[in-house]
Amino acid sequence: MSDDDETARADGGTASQSETVEDERFEEHPLEWDEPENNDKAPDERDSVSHRTEKYDDRKLVTGQAKYTADYEERYPDLAYAAVVRSEIPHGRVTDIDTSAAEAMDGVEAVLTPESDAVPDAKYTSAGQSYPEPSPWDMRVLNEHVRYIGDPIAAVAADDRTTASAAVEAIEVSYEEYDYVTDPEDAFGEDAPQLFEGGEVENEIVGHDYDRNRMAHIEGELGDVDAALDGETHVHETEWETIRQSHANVEKHTSLAYTNEDDRHVLITSTQVPNHTRRQLAHLFDIPIRDIRVTKPRVGGGFGGKQAMVVEPIPLALSLATDRPVLYEASREEEFYAMRSRHPMKVKAKTAVTDDGDIEAIDIYALSNTGAYGSHGMTVAGNVGSKPLPLYSKVPNVHFEADIVHTNTPQTGAMRGYGAPQGTLALEGHLDEVARDLGLDPVEFRRRHHMEVGDLDEIAGMMGGEGAERRIRSCGLDECIERGKDAIGYDDLEQPAADHLHRGIGMALSAQGTGVAGDELGAAQIMMNEDGSFHLQVGGVDIGTGADTAFLQIAAEVLGCDEADIVVKSADTDVTPFDYGAYASSTTYISGMAVKKAAEDAKERILDWGSKLLDEPTENLKTGDGTVYSETSGDSVTLEDIGYEAVYGDDEREHILGKGTHCTEESPPPFAAQFADVTVDETTGEFEVHELVVAVDCGVAINPGMAEGQIEGANHMSYEMAVSEGITLDDEGRAEVADFDEYGLPSATETPPIESILVETHEPTGPFGAKSVAEVPTNTVPPALSNAVRDAIGVRVREMPITAEKIKARLDERKD
Amino acid sequence: MDIELTINGERTRVEAGSAEDLATVLRQHGYIGVKCGCDGGACGASKVFVDGEVRMACGMAAADADGSEIQTVAALGTQDDLHPVQQAFVDNFAVQCGFCIPGMIIQAVALLDSNPDPTEREVREALDDNICRCTGYQKPVEAVLDAAERMQGEQSVAADGGRSVDGPPRRAESTGCCGGGCDE
Repeated sequence: MSDDDETARADGGTASQSETVEDERFEEHPLEWDEPENNDKAPDERDSVSHRTEKYDDRKLVTGQAKYTADYEERYPDLAYAAVVRSEIPHGRVTDIDTSAAEAMDGVEAVLTPESDAVPDAKYTSAGQSYPEPSPWDMRVLNEHVRYIGDPIAAVAADDRTTASAAVEAIEVSYEEYDYVTDPEDAFGEDAPQLFEGGEVENEIVGHDYDRNRMAHIEGELGDVDAALDGETHVHETEWETIRQSHANVEKHTSLAYTNEDDRHVLITSTQVPNHTRRQLAHLFDIPIRDIRVTKPRVGGGFGGKQAMVVEPIPLALSLATDRPVLYEASREEEFYAMRSRHPMKVKAKTAVTDDGDIEAIDIYALSNTGAYGSHGMTVAGNVGSKPLPLYSKVPNVHFEADIVHTNTPQTGAMRGYGAPQGTLALEGHLDEVARDLGLDPVEFRRRHHMEVGDLDEIAGMMGGEGAERRIRSCGLDECIERGKDAIGYDDLEQPAADHLHRGIGMALSAQGTGVAGDELGAAQIMMNEDGSFHLQVGGVDIGTGADTAFLQIAAEVLGCDEADIVVKSADTDVTPFDYGAYASSTTYISGMAVKKAAEDAKERILDWGSKLLDEPTENLKTGDGTVYSETSGDSVTLEDIGYEAVYGDDEREHILGKGTHCTEESPPPFAAQFADVTVDETTGEFEVHELVVAVDCGVAINPGMAEGQIEGANHMSYEMAVSEGITLDDEGRAEVADFDEYGLPSATETPPIESILVETHEPTGPFGAKSVAEVPTNTVPPALSNAVRDAIGVRVREMPITAEKIKARLDERKD
Repeated sequence: MDIELTINGERTRVEAGSAEDLATVLRQHGYIGVKCGCDGGACGASKVFVDGEVRMACGMAAADADGSEIQTVAALGTQDDLHPVQQAFVDNFAVQCGFCIPGMIIQAVALLDSNPDPTEREVREALDDNICRCTGYQKPVEAVLDAAERMQGEQSVAADGGRSVDGPPRRAESTGCCGGGCDE
């Protein structure tokens, strides 16, 4: 740390922007950003961006005419249906599969086992990440060595769903059973049953130790945490525990495969990552990438559960075996035990704080249960530290460490928030407790320490390596806190009349990223039609978030036309340019910037044609209202005229095409301040959450209505993490949850009202000032609710979910 | 077995297995607005009107619907002429992935038919078995309350300020059905 930063801490962490920027150590991350002139439009200059434009596909969606993968069923009269045989034991080896009864059934077209020719033997990871994947290749499509109740063993294709299910029931599997382990702390022990042999896994991840079921270990440090912990009077330590949360996307994982008239293998599939899926299938099946087409129709929710190649190899293998189109739609039961879930974790937080209330050191340790396979294991665990810790970027000594271990339990994967919810619970719950122990107002305590514009996020460097630090160029945390406090009524809380009821407010801050710094790519192209309309082809993936609409608004803003004059085609690997996919809150920022660049490229050609037709230099010309116009002469020409002239006019004809590609080292964090208002009954522990308020700085909201929907939906998901049990398992690691009722999603009456507040800032690196919005409000309700209960009644619940029973138990402990 | 159904105003005879559920049969006939999210009556995505009552089509045997009149979400409005509830969902940004929305709209229409001026609590209670994973419930609830206002505004008001008896009949077929088959 520099002297400037020492000064900053001494005065309560309020270093001015100029002081921090003068720090020459970090001049490679300047605050100033070379922003294109047209990127920073004032709100009243924006014709399309910032407007509550109707969602592109909404009319189809509300009339039930939009097509999701399963709705393509009627297009393929020869369609066969897939079903999967899954392991009924937690750990062992398949010694025999008797498929004779299934094969003899009328209507059964194929039964595949690990030995079948159509089934790839290669290892892979289901994680839909960039190449080379930061996840181990530890899976096979069908398995002889089974590692959890749910591991796929065999697959069937039949003429209808009922026959496919009956065939699965008719298959007899014999096993040699092994010892198993389901608790992550036990799994880490030296005598625990081992899931993988040394050398068995390809693409091993840093810190792996398969003798101890550890798939990865990560660690990073700034300053000297041990020294700081030794030196301070106030050292606090707390431990937190999170649930195995289900994505519970209402559309199940669904995928349809066939070979088309050009001998190319087509996957219509409910995915967040078409390009990664294409690459992974090519690897698995040894088919050239060009011969695989992955296309995504409407997607019924992803939330990270479809940032994975979870089901696609099964219908492709069956389609190759039967020479028929094959549809595989996971059952709802399979969704809970054989698809993916959020990594359950135990997270320890430790801090050293001075008598004056300055935070000298933060130490976070996470033990992550990655289940039977390692998809997204290391990267999710990394985000436990790298997302929340930058909130307190002025703290000089920081240490983060995580162990990611295998157990014989269902598979985990990416899920909205991606490790940040686990880390945010621990850090924001912990700091709240520290403030209360020191007799400080928890809100003011955070205000003293939180990140602000000009700060350098060194945590990004600590986790991402030298040079990965990032400068914070937009931060609306103060306004988020202020407006959130006002909305929840923080300063004038009324206590209930009854003595046994106590009301409290809890708050939590959150930061996320916007895309993966240095590891993203989005691309787009735009074609002008002769009538002045456009076709936008973009690799970005709309999984229900409204991304297509955001793309249209960005393109329309540049081109000066109505959104309705642009047709968008997104995420079809035969038609659209490359994109890493919908994850890491990257879509608007990365793919949206590619769209903006493509539109700018097309606009340049349009202005050239306008210049020719109006006989004026391009410098005088602008686009707007479907025209090119001159502010100098007042003349204008319509885009339609330009469209026709370009393709049918003089002998300099051209098809106006624009292209844009975007990748960046930047990943600006969006911020959120969450408030929860709760009343607790001290006789029973029962509690009622009156309201959740969440204020979010997402830069410029491209479509405020859609942004609010993202915030409220994310907050709803976060509330679920705070109050429901998630997927509970029995001693063998068998999911005890088979349907929505058992899973316990909070329903409309069980969910408190959620107020979303958009705090607009301007992020110069984003399209028209935008950063991300979809994940940051997923992180905050568990800590805010834990803090609210603590505020109301003085007891602390650290293991999610927060229940009346746990509160009552803490109250009883206090009495003792 | 052979059963007779009137689907969105169109009378049709369909073949249905004895164990086959109504959602599967409707979807096989192209009514893709009937969604299946849960395999058995737990998410609300497959809601349709069966003889004017809201039913989860995935939790009902097709055979039990023999002779019934069925309306799916496609009967309510067209893309160019949305039912007020559909329009309110669009205008209030209550739709994200949209998978749960047809069922939610059916339920909302049923609520407003029987209770044209519901409280927020009543809306939440009505939607209690409709699972939405993307938007949660804040915007859908706001959309239904907005639709209630719009629909009341559209009706002539009786002299006592109550609901006019010659307002739109309670079921949705009068509010813009395209005559069946508009579910593709």
